[in-house]
Amino acid sequence: MAWRVGVDSGGTFTDICLFEEETGRIEIWKTQSTPDDPSRGIAEVVKQGLERVGEDLSTITFFGHGTTVATNALIELRGVKTALITTDGFRDLLEIGRQKRPSLYDMFAEKPEILVPRNLRFNISERLRPDGSVEQNLDQEQLRTVLRELASQDIKALAVCFLYSFMNDTHEQAVLADTREELGDIFVSLSSEVAPEFREYERLSTTVVNAFLGPVMERYIQRLEARLVEAGLQTSPHLTQSNGGVIGFEAAAQFPVRTLLSGPSTGVVAAQVIAGLAGFDNVITFDVGGTSSDVALLENRACKKTGEAEVHGYPIKAPMLDIHTVGAGGGSIAHVDNGGLLKVGPESAGANPGPVCYDLGGERPTLTDANVVLQILNPVEMLGGRMKVNKAKAEKAIRKLAKSLKLELLETAQGIISVATANMAKAIRVISVQRGHDPRDYALMAFGGGGPLHAARLARELDIKTVIVPLTPGALCAVGLLMTDLKADFAQSFLTNLSAIEPGQLVERFEQIEAQALDWFNREQIEPESRLYLRTVDLRYVGQNYELQVSFPEGEITKDTLAKLREDFEAAHAQRYGFSPEGEAVELVTLRTEAVGVVKKASIQAKMDKASSLPQPVGTREVWMPEAEGLVTSPVYQRDDLQFGHEFQGPAVVEQMDTTTLILPGMRARVDAYLNLILEDRA
Amino acid sequence: MTNLDPITIEVIGSAMTSIVEEMGEALVRSSYSTNIKERRDCSTALFDHRGNMLCQAEHIPMHLGSFIGIIAHILDRHAVNDIRPGDVFIGNDAYVGGATHLPDIVLAEPIYFDDQIVAWSINTAHHSDFADRGHSHIYQEGIRIPPVRLYRAGELQTDVQDIFLLNCQVPRERLSDLRAQMSANRLGVQRVQGLCEKYGSERVLAAGDALQDYAERKMRAGIAAIPDGVYRFSDTFDSNQFTQAMELSVAITISGDSMALDFTAPPQVRAGLNMVYTALLASCYYAVKSAIDPTILPNAGLARPLSVTAPVGSILNCQHPAAVDGRIAPSQRVADLILGAMAEARPGQIAAAGNGCCTGATFSGTHENGDIWVYLETIGGGGGARPTADGLSGIQVHMTNTSNLPVEGLEREYPLTLLRYELVDGSGGDGEFRGGMGLRRVYRVERACQLSIDTSRLLSAPWGLEGGGSAMGSKLDFGDGRTDFRGIIDLVEGQIIEISTPGGGGYGTPSDCDPNGVVRTFNRDTSA
Repeated sequence: MAWRVGVDSGGTFTDICLFEEETGRIEIWKTQSTPDDPSRGIAEVVKQGLERVGEDLSTITFFGHGTTVATNALIELRGVKTALITTDGFRDLLEIGRQKRPSLYDMFAEKPEILVPRNLRFNISERLRPDGSVEQNLDQEQLRTVLRELASQDIKALAVCFLYSFMNDTHEQAVLADTREELGDIFVSLSSEVAPEFREYERLSTTVVNAFLGPVMERYIQRLEARLVEAGLQTSPHLTQSNGGVIGFEAAAQFPVRTLLSGPSTGVVAAQVIAGLAGFDNVITFDVGGTSSDVALLENRACKKTGEAEVHGYPIKAPMLDIHTVGAGGGSIAHVDNGGLLKVGPESAGANPGPVCYDLGGERPTLTDANVVLQILNPVEMLGGRMKVNKAKAEKAIRKLAKSLKLELLETAQGIISVATANMAKAIRVISVQRGHDPRDYALMAFGGGGPLHAARLARELDIKTVIVPLTPGALCAVGLLMTDLKADFAQSFLTNLSAIEPGQLVERFEQIEAQALDWFNREQIEPESRLYLRTVDLRYVGQNYELQVSFPEGEITKDTLAKLREDFEAAHAQRYGFSPEGEAVELVTLRTEAVGVVKKASIQAKMDKASSLPQPVGTREVWMPEAEGLVTSPVYQRDDLQFGHEFQGPAVVEQMDTTTLILPGMRARVDAYLNLILEDRA
Repeated sequence: MTNLDPITIEVIGSAMTSIVEEMGEALVRSSYSTNIKERRDCSTALFDHRGNMLCQAEHIPMHLGSFIGIIAHILDRHAVNDIRPGDVFIGNDAYVGGATHLPDIVLAEPIYFDDQIVAWSINTAHHSDFADRGHSHIYQEGIRIPPVRLYRAGELQTDVQDIFLLNCQVPRERLSDLRAQMSANRLGVQRVQGLCEKYGSERVLAAGDALQDYAERKMRAGIAAIPDGVYRFSDTFDSNQFTQAMELSVAITISGDSMALDFTAPPQVRAGLNMVYTALLASCYYAVKSAIDPTILPNAGLARPLSVTAPVGSILNCQHPAAVDGRIAPSQRVADLILGAMAEARPGQIAAAGNGCCTGATFSGTHENGDIWVYLETIGGGGGARPTADGLSGIQVHMTNTSNLPVEGLEREYPLTLLRYELVDGSGGDGEFRGGMGLRRVYRVERACQLSIDTSRLLSAPWGLEGGGSAMGSKLDFGDGRTDFRGIIDLVEGQIIEISTPGGGGYGTPSDCDPNGVVRTFNRDTSA
């Protein structure tokens, strides 16, 4: 038997999704994570998962892995001692950044920790002109002196960022060569390799973060690979990147900065596939965890990518799915501020102590406590009975808030839900209306432990008429690992007025870019028939500084191609900003190719036969719903009991091991052939 | 009056914040001039139908001064009955146009719902133009625009636009930036109309009122926590634009939950360093909010417990025809004065003085093709040390928060080469916690051009608190031995100019400093 395996390692649980290639069988399993050494938990979940299907690791033909190792190391500042070399006069740029203060009004706010202290930042004489030509040669004597000093400092990584290195990398390469001689195989991160693009501070920040995390990722990967091989794995494992694709372990160790959104990106990939099967092309994903919610927009079954984002305060230039995060999750704490308004989050009770109702010492009411008090969540037990719930304590905590708001208990609990929903709606407006998309044209795909709980209300807030709850909302990232291809991104800056470009120049440049892609395909051993090259270009009006990405027309490159590019850019500009000035010159900034190695993916089989019976609730529960003006007796269904073709009306609650779905009055739920629960709003 | 529960208010408030942020993002991303697209010298806001601010995006505090006056000035000049959907007003004059200096161009569009004006969508952008001018009075500083229609019922008034553009040195940038401003306001109009459709305009207006009441309550709660009394502070204001330093002072009277700020200042000067009253108000609102409670919503409600007075005809409350281009300089000192007085009222809660400047360099010249170029940059400095931590280095403080322009963008667009951009060693004030370090920028001029420079803290220094030391002040060195930096300075090809900005003051006596703590935090100003 041959199995494809996806393992997603999160803070609390490690999830595995197993897919049998011949039969299409899919299995999901979960174990506790082991944060001190995540590779233990991973090896354990793989072993247990395969045992459950009666196999061992030798039957694995593909191993995909999503991890928060890089992200957590960055948040907790657990990177290595890193030194920095810059163009003379610019070593402090790392600290200056864009010279803005972190908070406009709060004088106590801090900048994110500067990852290289001042005494480890070195100026080296060298200078390039804006066109990449050399104004001043690299001072190699000075460089040698600095490198020898570093040798005595126990440095674990070195970042190098010179001005205009994206136009000419000779000086950075020279530093690399000398470093190898002086410091051996220390981890080196060159800005011309990590992020060869315009804007020195963002490039510098990315290069430094990459260096800071490099050895951590290397160690993690070595340890994990050794453990998996020891356990019997015979295939080379892959890791997800922020762009939603997977990549070999070796490449991942070189560019950890490209895996910072590794976790949420595969959830989006899974959502993309599942929504497509269910017949929805335009979807907003809504992934709610304990402390935050991640949202993304899929147009024509694809999530837009972005080349730059701020991750935990650090500007990062790397291809990432355009995922927006907001600090609103199940553990978000509710409080009344000194002006008398109710606020929820961003402070979170996290996993420890967690919500009051978990009875683990939490005393401040959270979003989860509000859901328990309203009895949307099971007020007795959760996780399929593995965890008891203390509703009385949750009520007591919320009653305190109610008193200061002069509202009733249930009104207050409902208020917590409404305020949290408004915060989540704000996140969705960022990725939809702010990018020129009307959320009413989209369906909402809810997953993560808390997504299905809040999706119905969020949909109403945004006038979205359809909500999709996939079969395994709590393990969607692991599922996504088996639905993605191998992907790598290659780019070249080419700042030129569009009207001055000859088609031949584009042909030549794409050939150069795709030669790198070819190398990568060969290294990853991808068969020629499975190779795809997806081209995009970044364009802007001459004089602007922010670009819009446009797909590059397929086929032979001619004058028509250039005309089409202009047309597509104007349409994109009008959609995003509401205008596109006529007759203004358009310039090309960057050419990009995404190399895709198509792999065999898990495919979910449709059920053939509709259920002949009616869905049977396992019981009823009084649930507070302002939509029905009070307590409503709602049927409670078990997700496992729901079959293809089942339909029922809200109000209702659907429980499953890893989540609870709320269906409001006025909504109708149906189960499709892929066992997705689809909620349709008639209101 | 519609009654609203606190939850609906919070929900509608969240939506309004999203709207002004979205307007700001659209403005920055679709603009052309470096001052907006990279330096983000612009702000967006929503006002209610009575002309009170509902919400301002967190961009530049000084721009609040542009917003406070604009609706009143529009309504002074245009009867409400004559205003139509699709009308867009443009204004920039400091005396009748709603702005605080001429480069800040304000665009305001009424938002109609059910044939009524329910709110206004407003933004202001600093157009980096009007360079190489005199500043004896406002008539030298650029074209003065009262609030007039740039669009009438959706129709561009090309006559108005033509007059404006002919008075600009870089008309192509002006035109593109105006378009970006237009599109940002259009978004505001559409989004607020959407909000009214969803909740009904009455509830949206009621929520707007409630949010202002809420900001007022929070401000009053913060003031009430301060012991009643009069808190005074004096500081020096100097500038490279005049030779003498002047004394400014404030007396802040706390009485229950209200606060009165009374300033003493010398008469207005024949230099672009005067502030109109709305600029003074914006400075006070910023500093008081920052000192009392940074989380107070930035809307008109927070102003209700405050009263602000300054002698009419002084540099802090100037009258026509005083020049105002560099009003940010005295406004930074106003923030210092208020925070200095508050340090006594709220001990342990206020940081030492920040660099106290908004050091600005306006380069202008002619390209080879004859087109004029103007490049404005403002340079940050040290932040004041906090009672619990060192000050931040190389940041903008108080009334401004503009970004720098990437070197790789600057050198491509203008005939300048940046040779150094670094922190100034030893510029932060000493103390248990050190002040942040100032910035040094060293440029090489690649083609002869003109420069006008504005900085302060040449004759004075950012102060420390609780025994903390003063910071180093500003320093200018144009490589030609010059000591007079007034007015327009001609620069020659190959000239190297150096601008260093002040650090921030220290906090606490240095003797409390951990003797082993030389590299106590990552950011310490170490010898390396």
